[in-house]
Amino acid sequence: MITCSEFMAEFGDYLESEVPTKVRRQLEDHVAHCRTCQVICDSTRKTVKIVTDSRSFDLPESAVKPIVDRIMAKIRTGQGS
Amino acid sequence: MSYLQEVDLGGTFPPFVSFEEHFGVVPNLFRAQTLLPRVLEGEAELMGAVLFKDSILSRIQKESILLAVGVEYQSNYCVALHYQVLRSLGVAVSQLDQIVTNNRKAALSTSDAALLDFAIKLAMRAPWLSREDIELLRDCGFNDESILEAILVTSLASFLCTLSTGLSPSPDFEPRVIPTSNHTSPPKAAYVGGTGGPYLRAVERSPESFPPFAIFLERFGFIPNLSRAQTLRPDVLEAEVELFGSVLGPKDVLSHVQKECILLVAAATNLNTYCVADHCEMLHIMGLSREEADQIALDHHEADLPKETKALLDFALKLASRRFRINREDIDELIGHGFTEEHILETVAVTALNNFLNTLQMGLGTTPDVKPRHVYTLKDALPALAEEYPTEGAKVDPDASLVARVQAGDLEAFEELVIRHSRRVHRTLVGIIGNVQEAEDAFQETFLKAFRHIGSFEGRSTFSTWLLSIASNTALQCLRERKPLESFDEEDHGEEFHPRLVRAWGDNPEQLYSEAERRELVERAVMRLPSKYRVVLVLRDIEQVSTGEAAAALNLEIPTVKSRLLRARLMLREALAPHFATSAKRMGL
Repeated sequence: MITCSEFMAEFGDYLESEVPTKVRRQLEDHVAHCRTCQVICDSTRKTVKIVTDSRSFDLPESAVKPIVDRIMAKIRTGQGS
Repeated sequence: MSYLQEVDLGGTFPPFVSFEEHFGVVPNLFRAQTLLPRVLEGEAELMGAVLFKDSILSRIQKESILLAVGVEYQSNYCVALHYQVLRSLGVAVSQLDQIVTNNRKAALSTSDAALLDFAIKLAMRAPWLSREDIELLRDCGFNDESILEAILVTSLASFLCTLSTGLSPSPDFEPRVIPTSNHTSPPKAAYVGGTGGPYLRAVERSPESFPPFAIFLERFGFIPNLSRAQTLRPDVLEAEVELFGSVLGPKDVLSHVQKECILLVAAATNLNTYCVADHCEMLHIMGLSREEADQIALDHHEADLPKETKALLDFALKLASRRFRINREDIDELIGHGFTEEHILETVAVTALNNFLNTLQMGLGTTPDVKPRHVYTLKDALPALAEEYPTEGAKVDPDASLVARVQAGDLEAFEELVIRHSRRVHRTLVGIIGNVQEAEDAFQETFLKAFRHIGSFEGRSTFSTWLLSIASNTALQCLRERKPLESFDEEDHGEEFHPRLVRAWGDNPEQLYSEAERRELVERAVMRLPSKYRVVLVLRDIEQVSTGEAAAALNLEIPTVKSRLLRARLMLREALAPHFATSAKRMGL
């Protein structure tokens, strides 16, 4: 069985599904037996999903037009070049 | 001294006499194998033919390959041994230190640096090795005989490093500090898969006059292409046959089926199409069905094997994959399954032999002897990345026609591009800069820069990636001006981040809060991340660009992006845990 620090060394690639199939099985085997790594793995995945789905820092639809107009005005008046 | 006990074989044991003559000592790596003298005899034959015998490559060149590959394997044992041998051969300490610290170009001639580059690629990224790599060596003046030697020495390095990982002998000489391996990102080159050759010239040899071929014919019913490809060095083929005979021949410790299973599982973890096909065939000859052999290659846990054999294969897989260190617990686990130290030693030797053969085969690029039932591809090596590597034509840029119109002077087309990308650019800027007002200034600046430079945009990346790169750089410039003391560019010093909050999260943690509340929690937590981590997280998890695109936009190496992203995600997890973790009481923790 691999150790927790070996698991953490591969964890980044594991989250990205960038480990070969055979190594993935070893990591999954570790997670199945190690409660701490299981919790970290599961909660990190959920963190990524929450962040990805959060629409953070999104520009409200209503704000798009004025901001685009300002840029285009600068370009058309030659201030942008 | 190692995981296994040592027995006294006397001062005249021929392999030890040979090792002492050529290393100055009997290395502990070999003392750790005294439980099976026959294995040592086979190893001495191989070492003699590949390393000790005078040939085209000098001993210094060969030892330099062993040293450089040892560094990449992170094998403290092998590095200490070959460093000392090179010193005793008169190589300057400064030059050795440069090899160890991967500063080969400074230390070596162009051809010797190319030789080590080749060896390292073969040892660490064999499926990506191609005919072009062989041509590069030919361009440096190496002929086919010397390239074959380089491949053999690299394979020997894989063999010795695997033995040292599995047996953990004490170093014979002062250990050196080894930098962390930087082979974490995939090469940009195409995935070849190890069967793109044969790359080297070979000569015809007949089984009637060449005993090794007669032995292969008798044992397998055919002469493996892997052996045919090494006929420029008949003495090495003879030594290999000795080693196979001493490691794989006897069945007094592990059975023949167990050894073939180890070779199969270990070759599968190395994605070696050629060797997996051969070992499946051998297991079939030994009485297993083809489906059973396929299952062992795919996942031995699901195969119909005794649980002790599965434990043995777990161990071999861990050792062969090179990603993990073997520790005392792994040895104890095998002992717990009823295996003796002789069993463990033989398992390590068979796995090391496998890594020798896998490296050799991929270096020579031989085509399979039997039709492979599974051909390993990039998807097996790096499943997620396979989708990023376009296989048919280039990625079509959905903005290409608008860009062409802008380049022809059409301002309406540029307005369309601004509208199309405004939200994306805005998210990137606010995420990186962390301040809406400053982000709005940077927003204008990003699009104005894009407009000014669109004439020189040649479509090497998509417009969207190009724009993201402008936005990221504009935002980074803004950060540098605002916080000159907070360094974005500084190196990561390998500081580890240890998660502290390890309470479980529920099944649907997002349901605990409204969308607006979640967004606010995430934005607040992201803003508190140090900028060098925040920048990477914003691009990867909020913008959802690929690691390669993020690295290009930020002018960072892919491994740096990867390590910062993991750190950012773990820090964010820590920050969000108090809001999303299930209460300790409910979980019974």
